[in-house]
Amino acid sequence: MQRIIIGNGIAGSHAAAVLRRRDPDCQITIVSAGALLFYNRYDLPDVFRGRGDWVDYLVYPPSYYDEQNIKLRRKTLVKDVDPNKRTICLSHREALSYDQLLVATGGTGYIPERLLEYSDSMISFNNYRLAMMVRKALPDGGVVIMLGGDVLGLDLARTLIETGHSVVLVAGDRTFWPHEIDADDRPRYLEALRRMGLEVVDGRRIDRVESSHGKRPARQVIFEDGEVLKGDVVMPFYGLTPSVDFMSSAGIDIERGILVNPQLKTTGDDIWAAGDVCQIWSPQQNAYHFYYGWKNVKMMGEVAARNMTGDEVPFSATVDEQIQLQEDGTIYSPFWEYD
Amino acid sequence: MNSVQTDVQIAVCGSAGDGTIAVGDILKRAMARAGYRVIAFDEYPAEIRGFGKCIARTRITTGQVYSMKPKTDVLVALNDGHAIPHVSEVRDFGAVIYDSAPIAAVQEGWHVSGHLRPGHLPYGLPMREISEQSTSANRSRNIVALGFVAGLYRLPRQAFIEAITEKFRTKAEEVTKTNVAAFNAGYERGGETYRFDKLEFGPPARRARSSLSTMMTGNHAIVRGCLEAGIETFFGYPITPATSIMERLAVEMPKHGARLLQTEDEIAAISATIGAGFAGARSATATSGPGFALMTEMMGLGVMAEVPAVIFVSQRGGPSTGMPTKTEQSDLNIAVFGGHGDAKRIVLAPTNVEGCWRCAGRAFEMAEAYQVPVVVLVDLYLSNRYETVVFPDTPPFLPKSWKPMHRDRQADLPYRRFELTTDGVSPRAVPGDVGGVHTATGLEHNEFGRPNDLSDMHLQMTEKRHGKLNAALKHPGITVCKRFGDTGKVDVGVLTWGSTFGEALEATILAREDGIRCAAMKVVMLSPLPVRPILRFLNDCKVVVVPELNYEGQFANLISGALGRPVKRFNRVTGKPIDVIQLLQAIRGAAGKRKWRKSAA
Ligand SMILES: Cc1cc2nc3c(=O)[nH]c(=O)nc-3n(C[C@H](O)[C@H](O)[C@H](O)COP(=O)(O)OP(=O)(O)OC[C@H]3O[C@@H](n4cnc5c(N)ncnc54)[C@H](O)[C@@H]3O)c2cc1C
Repeated sequence: MQRIIIGNGIAGSHAAAVLRRRDPDCQITIVSAGALLFYNRYDLPDVFRGRGDWVDYLVYPPSYYDEQNIKLRRKTLVKDVDPNKRTICLSHREALSYDQLLVATGGTGYIPERLLEYSDSMISFNNYRLAMMVRKALPDGGVVIMLGGDVLGLDLARTLIETGHSVVLVAGDRTFWPHEIDADDRPRYLEALRRMGLEVVDGRRIDRVESSHGKRPARQVIFEDGEVLKGDVVMPFYGLTPSVDFMSSAGIDIERGILVNPQLKTTGDDIWAAGDVCQIWSPQQNAYHFYYGWKNVKMMGEVAARNMTGDEVPFSATVDEQIQLQEDGTIYSPFWEYD
Repeated sequence: MNSVQTDVQIAVCGSAGDGTIAVGDILKRAMARAGYRVIAFDEYPAEIRGFGKCIARTRITTGQVYSMKPKTDVLVALNDGHAIPHVSEVRDFGAVIYDSAPIAAVQEGWHVSGHLRPGHLPYGLPMREISEQSTSANRSRNIVALGFVAGLYRLPRQAFIEAITEKFRTKAEEVTKTNVAAFNAGYERGGETYRFDKLEFGPPARRARSSLSTMMTGNHAIVRGCLEAGIETFFGYPITPATSIMERLAVEMPKHGARLLQTEDEIAAISATIGAGFAGARSATATSGPGFALMTEMMGLGVMAEVPAVIFVSQRGGPSTGMPTKTEQSDLNIAVFGGHGDAKRIVLAPTNVEGCWRCAGRAFEMAEAYQVPVVVLVDLYLSNRYETVVFPDTPPFLPKSWKPMHRDRQADLPYRRFELTTDGVSPRAVPGDVGGVHTATGLEHNEFGRPNDLSDMHLQMTEKRHGKLNAALKHPGITVCKRFGDTGKVDVGVLTWGSTFGEALEATILAREDGIRCAAMKVVMLSPLPVRPILRFLNDCKVVVVPELNYEGQFANLISGALGRPVKRFNRVTGKPIDVIQLLQAIRGAAGKRKWRKSAA
């Protein structure tokens, strides 16, 4: 039995571990676009605390993959999935055959359409390489202009402030994503961010993002009224958009994410999906729903792996989706927790 | 100040025709230009183009090293099928660079990226596409890959451009331009690529920056030695891996007023060499195992007629045609003993490229001084291995000279060409010397050279031919053997000869780091054998390991035969140099066993 997992994040990696536990003899191949072994992205803000070596972020040592007989193919981009032939096609023109497929490709940072033309000059924080780029671009005590302000960004902002940097948040309707906040409560939450040390600019529309003297990265934001906000780097944090492009011709149901039933089965034969990439049918809400956060995603990896090996268990969320306003006036997101 | 010590091994692996060896060549020349020390060794098939694996390995260092590293730091795959078996050579956290956009669909399991170990770092690069974009052709994908490596590790771009220009000097100007463009495109891409591996190139060593530092192969060094020693005639017949000696001499000798002739076969080559030696010229030939087998009869004539001649032998896998492009050390027996009769000759086996130069130059002196053929025994690994060498300003080799015919001898007595002297060396006359008429023959002879097979005469002449060579052990300017590592009594001694010495020394260094008291000895003069210092070395060692690239242990047999001491054999016939780690394990085993014995006793 050849089981292929696309994606080397927590969903894919945990699924591989559970699959191996439940089926010691099958072949497991993880295919990942990234160059590194599975590492903890939640810890990446630590690059500002002097933890610069990627090896320190690895969840498992290299020997783990040999011990578990899990084949990991890195720097390998999946371009296409052909459920009829049961193959995935890689960007270097090799096709891999599978008996079962798990799609765990997560998501990439969402950028609003009007800012897309600046995406090359802003630095996101999606992976280790980008984290190191920000660290390089940011001087001691430097200023980060944070656009949007999802929970990933706010988590990073906490570390930046703790390590002596300044964060100017250009808030908008994606601030606190994926948490949803009532319009009435919003001022209190923004105030909490100020208490946490962020400078918050609210209610302003961005006209453009610019680098100074034509040199990347972008360092300033120009608002529609012409006012200029200057910093050292501009970072977009508008939430995630699921990585599903390569599945578009696979003939399975996709809305924003890959649609799966509570057992994380897609509408394609022998194809499952887990993690940020999937929208799970919720009988209670009578709708498809995204579930985020390390613990949820890890649970999805577990559920998918169990169901791929004969179980029929449904996914149930383990993370509280409510953002908390704490007694000291700061906020806390349950999505910041991981094990 | 940046104190990073550079020690990086880069392997390029492709199919014959991919430009693998060319890329390796540019890499090593560029790095040598930049002032680094370089050791490089290429493996290639006997065929010219179309199939067969080529690997160019280059070790770039600031300090002195002695062999290729057992593990590669960076592997560049120009052909996935050939590169896949070599991925396991890459060390943990080493880099593998490959074509991420091949022109044709890849069969499942046949892309190199699928074979990386978890500890390897992948760098995919659309080599063909970049070549097409930068040069409008896909031919330069090898140069794109080279540029990528140089850009990734921030290697000095100018040194590469100079090396590329030098490489294509004889081609149309457009060829250089195209390749420089391909290199630059690769370099840019490498510079933009995020580097996860921690390979560092420190500044080059100052000594190596000297203008006298030259990078060359063992065969090239032999040529340099020949020219600096004033070679006058060369006769040869092409054979891998010795051919490049003749090829280069053919270009260089006419510039020095010297003559080279490609003969119809090896028998003619050695005959002409001996003939020229008889006539007083500094004369040489070069061959490999199969050709050397043909030469042994005439070499016997050289011994019997006491004619100086130099024979360069580059060993390859045998017997018969064997493995022309693979290395081996299995011609020691034929070099030392080959041919019939008690035909003692001098055999020198250099251990590195500098040694090739030195032995080549001294071989001419010795051939004249002791009136005997001198064999300089190298192997494919040393013949083709590149090293950076610092040569002295003035060549150290002595001009032509030999014990001359006595001027004051009695004119009415015939000239005694084979006079029995105390040192065994007779006064020599060459054709044209007035009064020097004599007979030189393959028959046993008396002092005048006239045929004589009386038992006393045969005994005296045999003793003379053997005894005169002992002085060669003290010939100035040549190291007949040398000890390295721990002094005094040691647990393990590694006794080596020829190209294997580099690996042996590296293994010894590692063993000493392990806490094993260990020493190595290289023996350069295989005939006559420097028995005393070898014996002293053996006496100092609890166990002696003799690593060799032959099946039976020809050197071990030589040592055991001459000294009656048992040695531990370490024999490999893989067609490749000795694996340092395997040898280290053998040393560890030898040391452990002794310790165990000691404590059990
Ligand atoms: C810096 C950072 C901090 C974060 N912090 C938080 C946090 O505090 N709280 C929170 O709730 N969430 C956080 N997230 C989001 C969090 O990463 C996700 O919820 C969770 O990690 C998703 O896991 P996953 O396995 O679904 O996907 P991912 O971890 O995104 O992994 C996706 C994998 O798929 C691979 N991939 C994608 N496309 C392809 C393709 N076409 N071919 C091959 N491989 C492909 C990628 O290379 C990657 O290996 C953070 C994300 C980042 C980047």
